[in-house]
Amino acid sequence: MKDSLWSIFSKGILDENPIFRLALSLCPALAVTTSTLNALGMGLSVMFVITMNNLVVSLTRKVVNPTVRVPVYIMSIATIVTVVELVLEAFFPVVFQALGIYIALVVVFAIILARAEVFASKNGVVRSVLDGLGMGTGFLFAMLLIGVIREIFGSGTILGFPVFGAWYNPPLIIILAPGGFLLIGLLIGFFNIVAKAKKAKGANA
Amino acid sequence: MSHAATTQNGSILQIALNLTLAALVSGIIVAGVYFWTAPIAAQQRIIQRDNSMKELVPGVTDFQPVKDHAGWFAAMKDGAPVAYVVPGEGIGYGGKIKMLVASDPTGALLGYKILSHNETPGLGDKTTQPKFRNQFVGKKVENLEVVKVHEDGKIDAITGVTISSRAVTKAVKESLTALNESILQRSAP
Repeated sequence: MKDSLWSIFSKGILDENPIFRLALSLCPALAVTTSTLNALGMGLSVMFVITMNNLVVSLTRKVVNPTVRVPVYIMSIATIVTVVELVLEAFFPVVFQALGIYIALVVVFAIILARAEVFASKNGVVRSVLDGLGMGTGFLFAMLLIGVIREIFGSGTILGFPVFGAWYNPPLIIILAPGGFLLIGLLIGFFNIVAKAKKAKGANA
Repeated sequence: MSHAATTQNGSILQIALNLTLAALVSGIIVAGVYFWTAPIAAQQRIIQRDNSMKELVPGVTDFQPVKDHAGWFAAMKDGAPVAYVVPGEGIGYGGKIKMLVASDPTGALLGYKILSHNETPGLGDKTTQPKFRNQFVGKKVENLEVVKVHEDGKIDAITGVTISSRAVTKAVKESLTALNESILQRSAP
């Protein structure tokens, strides 16, 4: 019995959220979430790359020799990321300046390789693309959540606009790495409670 | 159904061929896209530099390269230079900070603009924002000193961003000193 197309897409958002539930790709969740705008840009880039890569891996799954599949996946990811980088530099210089140093890092995000290996190499094109979109959406959602909280409390702004009055003196720790660790830890804990409650409800019903 | 079509282990030649082919396809795609975007990106960089210079020296559109100094520009108005723009570079918290520094012919700063940097987002990148940058306007070489507690005529460090504040100020100071020594002194009466 195969999962429905909807469940393939939606599982990445909550039940198997890459950051909060699978605890994959925590590095960008820490490094690029100091402001909402950065989190949004990175989330969208990853969503695009993971979907494209799932598409390529799924299309080529019958011709790629399993012995060398991982190098081939990495090459595919690197190619897509490089193309994204070049296109952004030429046509969207503002976005490129904001994200420039992080885009190259997308190549080594664990979640992208993980979806290629776990899902796209074993499933058809439509299902793989949906899986990529779902995981990408979950990643984007997690990045935005962390980014919004850190920007509001760490800089007192949202998308650069002040939300608090001048009285608010933002604690630096939230913008720095330790604040990121603390917040991600708390959020993972929160989503664990949500998952537990959901499971208990399912068992009772 | 996983890998149904690919048998367990191909010969080493098949595997190598497979990998080579994948690398070849990747290479062709990247090369093709680069061939297409590189000239556009180069144009964008020139536009960005010109825009930065116009932002630093408002009201001037004619920038002439300065002889014997690569990357230096004189902002010309009615045939006479009203400002100079010189590139600057400093080492910040996360690596190189590249900028353009503009000064009027008396050696008073018009400002600076950071072109690329690697500073901490949310902290070090505050040095690119007007609140910090505006402190430099009108300052001369002797004013360019970073202080943590406000002193009139000096540069206030951004809280928690001392390294980047110092790096930017030092780079501006070096550029301005170089400009003073080579051009401004010579043309002074």
